Amino acid sequence: MSVRVRLHPCLRNFSDGRQEVEAVGQTIGECIDDLESKFPGIRQQLCDDGGKLLTKYDIHINGRSSYPEELAKPVKAGDELTILTFVAEG
Amino acid sequence: MTTGEELRRYERQMIIEGFGREGQERLKQTRVVVAGAGGLGSVVSIYLTVAGVGKIRLIDHDRVELGNLNRQILYGNRDIGRRKVDSAKEKLESLNPEVKVEIVSEAILEDNAFELVDDCDLIVDAMDNFTTRYILNKVAINRDIPFFHGAVRGFEGRATTIIPGQTACLKCIYTRAPQPEPAPVVGVAPAVIGSIQATEVVKYIVGIGDLLTNRLLIYDGLSLEFMEMKLKRRPDCEECQHLTEGRE
Repeated sequence: MSVRVRLHPCLRNFSDGRQEVEAVGQTIGECIDDLESKFPGIRQQLCDDGGKLLTKYDIHINGRSSYPEELAKPVKAGDELTILTFVAEG
Repeated sequence: MTTGEELRRYERQMIIEGFGREGQERLKQTRVVVAGAGGLGSVVSIYLTVAGVGKIRLIDHDRVELGNLNRQILYGNRDIGRRKVDSAKEKLESLNPEVKVEIVSEAILEDNAFELVDDCDLIVDAMDNFTTRYILNKVAINRDIPFFHGAVRGFEGRATTIIPGQTACLKCIYTRAPQPEPAPVVGVAPAVIGSIQATEVVKYIVGIGDLLTNRLLIYDGLSLEFMEMKLKRRPDCEECQHLTEGRE
């Protein structure tokens, strides 16, 4: 199933500058695998060597945080994923 | 009651449709907490001061350092070493002596946060860490007052307006705090986000426009883009789930 993925600007060098891309999968992890097949290197940017999402990223499904166990969270056709970095300074 | 001098001072904003003397009077009657007098707090407090908010309680326990001056526009070289709130009060009162500026040079902690926001109508989040933001989010929910969130990093920023029981709260949006780390910031990032927070506060008080509620504004200065993410309350949110769904 296909979902819409909105990318943080730091990831757009993988997507030819596109802010929004499509991904296919039943979970966020599978969607990232699909993104990796289209945009090689993006998974390494998002995940550590053990395949876990780096703590500096936050992935939202339809405006709700997917934390914890983000990559195992199921998605359905038409969902919108937003990948953001944390911003905390004042 | 708005005085003759105030009418002259604020005439250019009072002629905005929907603002008027009534809006100005509402601003004058409002008591605002600005939590943090750094990059965001500088911008927010300056614009709320010149807009004519009645009382600003500015909370910050730091002293001014040289490394603050690239972004914390309340201060200059001569303020280095002084308590931020002392310098800020002088600056804000020089901008608008009609505004009452209360200062608190204390850290915001679980055990004093409720007292620090006592008698205030809303809280502006101008903090530099999520631990304190979460405390303020809890206080805002408990007191049922709005919470105006802003944060920056590098050329980036985020902002949203939280109305307890009606919108996603900070814990709905950020279920975990990021790792504390020294973060880069260029002064123009808090300039943009702080201005947006002040805009939201003025609109909320005056009662005009559409608020940044259930929307996270995502600003990137490098690509000069504003993106929005629609937000939803989290039904299992430990902070706000007890508030009635009917208010959403």
